[in-house]
Order: sequence, then C-alpha cells, then structure tokens
Amino acid sequence: MDKKTRWMFWIAGIIIFAIFPKLAGIYYSNIVVSMSVWALFAVSLNMLLGFTGLLSFGHAMYFGTGAYGAALALTHVNGLSFFSAMAAGCLCSVVLSLIVAPVVVRVSGTAFAMIHLAFAQCMFVLALKFRNITGGEDGIGGFSVSHIRIPGLFSLDVTDPAVFFYLSIGTVILNLLVLWFVIQTPFGQVMAGTRDNVKRIEYLGFRVSHTKAVVYVLAAGSAGVAGAVSAMHQNLVAVNDAYGMMVSVLPIMIVMVGGARSFFGPIYGAVFFGFLEEYVTAYTDKFELILGLILIIFIMYWPLGLAGIFLKLKFKWLTRKQFLKRSGGGAG
Amino acid sequence: MDPTTAMYIAQGMHGIAYGMVLFLLASGLTLILGMMGILNLAHTGFFMLAAYFGYQMVQWTGSYWAALAAAPLVTAVFGILMERFLLKKVHVYGPMAELILTMGVSLVILDGVKVIWGSQSLPLSPPESLQGLVNIFGMQYPAYRLFIIFLSLLVLFIMGVLLYKTRMGMIIRAAVSDAQMVDALGINVPVVFMLVFGIGTWMAGVAGVAIAPILTVSPGLASQMGMDAFIVIIVGGFGSLGGAFLVSLICGLLSSYGIQFLPQYSAVLIFIFMAVVLAVKPEGLFGEKT
Repeated sequence: MDKKTRWMFWIAGIIIFAIFPKLAGIYYSNIVVSMSVWALFAVSLNMLLGFTGLLSFGHAMYFGTGAYGAALALTHVNGLSFFSAMAAGCLCSVVLSLIVAPVVVRVSGTAFAMIHLAFAQCMFVLALKFRNITGGEDGIGGFSVSHIRIPGLFSLDVTDPAVFFYLSIGTVILNLLVLWFVIQTPFGQVMAGTRDNVKRIEYLGFRVSHTKAVVYVLAAGSAGVAGAVSAMHQNLVAVNDAYGMMVSVLPIMIVMVGGARSFFGPIYGAVFFGFLEEYVTAYTDKFELILGLILIIFIMYWPLGLAGIFLKLKFKWLTRKQFLKRSGGGAG
Repeated sequence: MDPTTAMYIAQGMHGIAYGMVLFLLASGLTLILGMMGILNLAHTGFFMLAAYFGYQMVQWTGSYWAALAAAPLVTAVFGILMERFLLKKVHVYGPMAELILTMGVSLVILDGVKVIWGSQSLPLSPPESLQGLVNIFGMQYPAYRLFIIFLSLLVLFIMGVLLYKTRMGMIIRAAVSDAQMVDALGINVPVVFMLVFGIGTWMAGVAGVAIAPILTVSPGLASQMGMDAFIVIIVGGFGSLGGAFLVSLICGLLSSYGIQFLPQYSAVLIFIFMAVVLAVKPEGLFGEKT
C-alpha cells in the first residue's frame, strides 16, 4: 500500500464514521459502540497478554471499577459531562491498579493469572455486599450525563445516540492510538523483551518489574475507560456485567480468536464476537458453550487467530501479484 | 457438654469436612500442576461433571455406592481423553495456550451440563445407612459428614502409599523433578502423564460425588467450590501437597466460622486471608521462589 492509497483509506474511514449513524440507524450504531468498547477492553488486555506475556484471568476488575467509578461519579456529582465521568472511571481503575501492582508484578505466568482470578472474584463479592454504595444486585442506573457545552459556542446532547456514537468511538480510537504509540516506542521493545526473555532484559539493565508495573497501570486505565464508556452507553452498571466471570473470560477469547501477537488482532476479534453474539443469541441461549468450542478450535488449529489468517492470505495474494508482475516484466 | 461449646465444635467439624473435600479437589489440581506444569481450569468442571454422573448413576441403579465407585472413573476417562486429544496438541504453543484451552473446556462443560440436565438443582440423597445423626461424646453430628471426613482420609492414604511406597510413585515423583531425564531412562513419560492426569481427575470426581448430597447437584457447583480450590493452591503454593492440605483446612474453618460470626462478610474472609499471604509471600506459603 503506497502513501496515496493509505490516505484514501483513512479519508474513506472518516467519511463512513461520520455518516454511519444516519446510514445504519440507531440499532446498528449501538452495536458498533459496544463492539468498540469490547475492542478497547481486549486491546488493553492484549497489552498484557500479547505484548508483555502476562495472562490475567481477572481483567474485569478494571473494566468494572471504571464502570462503577463513572456511574458513582455521575450519581453523586451534579452536572458531570461525558469526559469528566470517563476520567473519573479511568482514575478509579488506575488507583486500584496502583494498589494491586506491587503484589502482582512480583509473579508471572500461571500465578499471575490465578491471582487476578481471585482478585476479580473478590471485587465481585465486595460489589455485591456493599449494597448501600453499589446497589448490590440491582446495580446503579438512571444517572444522567449532562450536555457538553462551551458557553456561547455549542452544546452537545449526549443522550442523542448519534452524538454518543461519535463521542464514544472517538474516545476509543484516541485511547487505541495512545496504546499504539506506546508499543512503537523503545519502551514497547522492552515490553516484548520481558515477554520473550526476562533474564536477558535484566542483564541489559532494564528493570523488569517496573516495566511490568507501567504496562499494568496503562492496561488498567484503558480498561477503565472502556468500562466507563460502557456504563454510560448502557446507562446501567450491574455486578454481573461489571465484575462477572464472563467479563474476564470474553476479552481473553477475543484476543485469542483475533490474534494475540498483533495489535489489531483483538479489534478483528471484537468485530467477530459482536456479530457472533448478535446472531447466535437469536437462536440459542447457550452462548458460552459456543464460545468455548470456538476458543478450543482456534487454539488448536489457528493459534495466531484471525490476524494470522489475514496475514497468510495477504502473503499469498502479494507473492502471487509480485510473481505475475515479475514474469510479465520478463516477457516484455 | 453445654450447648454453646457443642455448637462451636460441630461448626468446626463442618469446617473440617468441607476442608477435606476441598483438599481432595485441590490435591488433584496441584498434582497435575506440579507434574505437567498445567493448571487445569477444567478441573472444577470435571468435579461438577462427576456430581452429575453420580446423580445419573443413582437414577439408573438406585445405589449411592455404585455412583461413588463408577462416576469418578467415568470422569477420569473424560479427563484422559482431554489430555490425549486436546492438551497434547496445544503443548507446542506454550503454557498460556494450554491454560486458555482448559478454560475453553471448562466453559463447554459448564454450559454443556445445562443442555443435558437442565439448570435446576438436582437432589442426590446419601445412602440410608449414613442418614441421621451420630452421637459423639454426647454431641449429635450428621453421619454423612463424618463419612466424608473418613472417605477423604482414605483417598489421601491411598494416594500417599501410591506416591511414596510404590515403584510407580517413584517414577511419578522423578518425572515431576526432571521429566526429560526420566524419559531418557526409557520410561514412557507421556503414559505416566496420562495416568497422573487420570488420577487427578478421579480425585476431583470422588470429591464431586462426596459433596453432592450436601450442596445438591447444580451448575453453580463448579464456581461455588472451584474458586476456593484455586485459592487453596495459590495460597498453599503451586505444586505443594502439604501447603494445599493446610490451606484447605484453614479455608474450611474460615468459611464455617465465618458464616457463624460474620455472616455478611464470610465470603470476603477467604480473599482477605489470600491477600495477606500474597502480600507477604507472592509465591504462596509453601511455594518455591521462581
């Protein structure tokens, strides 16, 4: 792809994004919003799983904390806008991750995964028991997000689905860009190094546990943003949708199906799961059974996920094109 | 004995009974983990599956003893099939892939039982000879719970003898410390691994059939006890049988006394215990530093 087609591609993307809510209607733009939330959540998990080699079975604890943080801020503070509520959710997740980080960066592998499973379950129980704060099983709902306004210039009504679509997708893309740039920096290389060979990174003079902690907090903050956007999208936070086991399991599946070694893999995965949920739940309520089977099949036969399949197809296509070009040139 | 003390002791014994079943479950898990380096997340799925098999067996034969004998064996066969056909294939992709695979299997089992048996709880009554109460020093105690304690001790005794007094146990222990070397000595290590996987799953099956009359058979069974089992092996230290034993009993006592004294927060107590231990020793009480 040369520079010109890339620019065309970006411009086309922006135009589609701009007219999508008008074109596809509220129902499908809501689906796209929830897909984008899952994509951000899964990419934040993949910062740990794919790029640093840390598997967490309890990433829901940050998603849920972001969601509860935003919802609590909106119910208790009057006149909070979309961005301040999101910042509140993100901040809550970051604070929680800073508390947990000193313990979890000292372990890795299976221990890291299982400790998170237990911590997330602990958050689940706490959210269920502190009924006076979190509303217990009923959760928190019906909070109002006030308009974003710059006096004299404009005022945006966030309750309008189209406006919410632009805001949430914009937020998600911005956050994804931040994570993308982090991976491109030398720090990103150190991350990959801790995944591939911890000893060598230590010998080179980098501090492994500090690196892990920074990635960890970054991933937690992004998950918090995803949680906050999801809370405002649903206008409801319930324990099961915030801290439930499936909230931790689903992003792992999205990452595995999308492809853990690729930055964009989880985004493909999120789109795949968005459609899957849309069509499978229409026929059967045994969604988890189907998810489990798909996960097993992908791990056994396509361990690089959809991103790996795309890459393979691209290589096939490219080599054929180049071969044709070269043989054509030879004949001429 | 005055009633208050009797109540405390009874509550303590409830805790020990629960802790022993927890240990049956956790020791299979820790055996597989120590030997093959795989944390089998589907272990609690197999535990629940055994309870369902037990229920089905009682439906067919009407005998609890037949269920206790057969259901864990059937479960073990399923475990071995999983090891042979799924885990082995994924081994080359590394431990993370194996961990996620077992998670997938656990999802399939958890939702699969709902397809076959429905999502309501099914009753499984203990055999008639074990119904009712036993009089211990003037204290009334349910006979079935005593039976569970003895059953667990029996299984542990058999495991102990198998692991430390037989030639096969020697090979297993050698394969835990250096599988490659044992392989080089001409012993078929994959078969040993398969056996260990089968034994571990069998123990989970025994735990499942044993606990079923107390907790009833339901799809929630796996998450109910499974979480505790995972906490036991995290806190006790990966691959440590002694640690698992100690922490299982602590967990059992914490949950039974917690329900009595702090009913509101009994579920949180175990997590607090875990957090305190991990803050001091992240590798668990008896875990080796990695």
